[in-house]
Parts: sequence; structure tokens; C-alpha cells
Amino acid sequence: MSDTVVVKGSKSGIIVVLDKDADFETIKKDVAAKFQKTSDFWGEANKAISFRGKDITDDEKEEIIDIIQSNSKLSIACIVEDDPETEARFADSIEKTIAARDANTGQFFKGNLRSGQVLDVETSIIIIGDVKAGAKVISKGNVIILGALRGNVYAGAAGNLNSFVVALDMNPVQIRIGDIIARAPDKPDKKHKKETKIAFVEDGNIYIEPLDKDVMDDIHL
Amino acid sequence: MGEVIVITSGKGGVGKTTTTANVGTGLAMLGKKVVLIDTDIGLRNLDVVMGLENRIVYNLVDVVENNCRIKQALIKDKRYPNLYLLPSAQTKDKTAVSPEQMKKLADELKQEFDYILMDCPAGIEQGFKNAIAGADRALVVTTPEVSAVRDADRIIGLLEANEIKQTHLIVNRLRTDMVKEGNMMSSDDVVEILAVDLIGVVPDDEHIVISTNNGEPLVGSDCLAGQAYMNICKRVLGEEVPYLNLESNKSLFQRLASIFKK
Repeated sequence: MSDTVVVKGSKSGIIVVLDKDADFETIKKDVAAKFQKTSDFWGEANKAISFRGKDITDDEKEEIIDIIQSNSKLSIACIVEDDPETEARFADSIEKTIAARDANTGQFFKGNLRSGQVLDVETSIIIIGDVKAGAKVISKGNVIILGALRGNVYAGAAGNLNSFVVALDMNPVQIRIGDIIARAPDKPDKKHKKETKIAFVEDGNIYIEPLDKDVMDDIHL
Repeated sequence: MGEVIVITSGKGGVGKTTTTANVGTGLAMLGKKVVLIDTDIGLRNLDVVMGLENRIVYNLVDVVENNCRIKQALIKDKRYPNLYLLPSAQTKDKTAVSPEQMKKLADELKQEFDYILMDCPAGIEQGFKNAIAGADRALVVTTPEVSAVRDADRIIGLLEANEIKQTHLIVNRLRTDMVKEGNMMSSDDVVEILAVDLIGVVPDDEHIVISTNNGEPLVGSDCLAGQAYMNICKRVLGEEVPYLNLESNKSLFQRLASIFKK
């Protein structure tokens, strides 16, 4: 492989040095080959990127980022102009981008989670299906289940006590919000009826209540 | 110094977990300090049968991987304060733990408990090897069916090969009416085939189904199965207990019906 592309890594960013004299087609091919080979080394990570060497247009930058993302598990959060303070700005930019993305965003999951399955997400999660006994949902945000909750849920896994759990049929084995744990009563409730309920933290305890307008007004995102 | 007992069978569905729950609870009722370990990683059940599922925070794999201390993972039973459960992980598989790690864990627990009961998974693969790794003695559970007896025979062979000193047999789900009609092996037949010492016979009893569903072991209760399990516990402790007359529980109606059959 020719050395038209050199990749330097740092903690939060990668610097791609391109050969001034190489043509763009060769560079694209070399970028693909390079990242395919080193995909395991980079692992799954959010990185900022900056380019050195050859002057390329914004469209070409986007094209190279696409190639990198499709040939490795990296996800490129942003492009940073190359200058002496690059490293500091890499870290800063990533933090801001990720924080903004996680605070109020969610993902969807469709399907039933069955015993032994774990769904672990960074954002809030909306599950279209049931969470069966023995299954587990872990989210750093809120958990909304459009189905029955009969398993374990861990909301606010990073410690956010404002997180909540909603389910159309609330019958969990265990709910954890932040570092507070609530468990099901030992005697199963014979009169249990299907009703949309919300679990939230107040004064260090987890409360489970029917989801009505008053409760919804109290939700703080 | 405690004793590690593995409860195993080879075949699935013959009552290992039910036996573990009832023998463990029975030993605790008799004043012993007992811990039950569910080694069926990936298909855990013992916590449900004990009615302790909602208390699980850490499990066996967390302990072995040093994510927590043993004390943190042990769940105290809701009825007997000297009975504890170490639940299994549901999200991993048998390879998450090695026999060496299980032996180390058993040796540690021996310091503090009188009895450590290992609930073995079905089969003879890694899960079985993990469960028997630290065991001092074994209770082999079988039902009076050719398939279960065949598997029990294989298991007894493997236990002997692994130098488990004491192996005892529990014949589970015996139906005296069927034995009488000659449609089911008697416990004597099973003992003759397997050539190991019998430690208990548990009759087929619908109370077991109810107790399992409620998450409350029935050992020590008045029903026949409850008495049979209590007798097994006493025999584990070395007491001589006569075997129950398993027919005594028939209702008057059933007795009349059987007279008319003749």
C-alpha cells in the first residue's frame, strides 16, 4: 500500500495526513484500506477528525468521513480545523456534541425482550413490545414501554434521579432509578389490572402511580 | 468447616431445583446455616422457586468476576435468617464461570456456612462440571422412568470418576398406585439398577406445583411431599428416619374407589 494516507490518533481525535501530490481517488482507496485494517485497533468510539497535508473541499471531507465510518466502527462526531489547540478543542467539541445528543434524545426498539436479554442504551428508550420476566433494560435516560413490563428496568443508569419509567402494563420484578431500587411485593397482586403507570423518584423513594395529567406535569426532563 | 452438596440428575425436569429449595430450607429449619447456589447460568430458576427473584442485584457471575463481594450477592431468605441464596446470572452462559473459580468460591463459603447446596443444571457439560467442582457429596435426583434412571446412572459414573466421596439417591415423583399396578418402577427397583444408597423417596404431589408457583418451599408441611423432604434433611444430617408410607394420604373416596377396582 502506498503512503498517501497517514493516520495519527489521539485520545479524542484522529488526524488524517494526506499526501499533497496524490489524487483524490487513490486517497479514498487508501483511506478505506487503512481503516479496514485498523478497525479493531480503534474499536467503537466517538472521535473528532481533522485533516492535514492536502487541501480538500468540504464535500471531499464528508466523503472521506463516510469511508472511515463504513470501514470501521468509529463514529466521527465533528470536523475540527487543524491548529495548535486542536487536541483541547477535539475533547471539548465531542463532549458538547454527545451531551446535547444524549440529554433529550431517545431511541426506538421494536420487539419483545425475553428472559436473559439485555437492552443497554446511552439515551432514553422507547420499547414497542413487552419486557418479560428475566429481561433487563438499562438506560441513562428514561424508559417508556409500549407493552407490559414484567422484568427489570434500570433508568437513569448514570445517576439521574429525574429519570422515569412508563409502561402500559406495569408489573415489574425490580425497578432501579439512579441508585434507588424498588422491588415487587412478595405476594403477587391478584387484583392487578392493566393500567398505564409511571415510576419516578421522590424523597429517595420510588413511587409507581397511574399516569394522569398531574403526574405528567411534574415530569422534569 | 461446612460441607458442599451438589444436587444433580443428568436429565432435566426431574426436580433438582425443587429438591435444592426444599432440602436447603429444611436444613435451615433444623438450625443449620445454609447457602443455596444456583449454578444454572442462563436459565436460572432457583430464585423464582424460593420467591426471591425480586431481591436480586448481584449474581454468581458478578462474584466470580469480582464485580462485588460475596456478601453483597447473597440474598437472605424471607422466612429463615440462616438461609441464603446466591442467584445465577440470566444473561451469560455456562462458560462465564470455570470449575476452578467454583471450587474457590465453595471453599470460601465453607468457612462460614454449615451446608452449601449447589443446584446443578441438566446435562453433563460445563455447567455440570462447574457445579460438582467443589462438592464433597452428591444427591442424585431421579424419577422412576427409564430415561431419567439411565441419565442418573451416567451421572453417578461421572461423580465417581470425579472422586465425589458420597453419593445418595432421591427418587422423586413416585406414584404408589402406578407401582402397585406394575406400571411404574418402585424405589427398590431404581435402587437395584443404580446400586447407590437411597436417601429419600418423594411422592408425586400436586402441593409441589402450588408451592413452586408461590415461591415457598413446602418442606416440613403436613403434606406427604413436605414430610418426605424433611426426612431427607434429617438423613442428610445423619439421623436414621424410617421411610414414610406414601399411601396414607389417599382420601376416603380414593380408597373406596380402589376397593371397587379390585
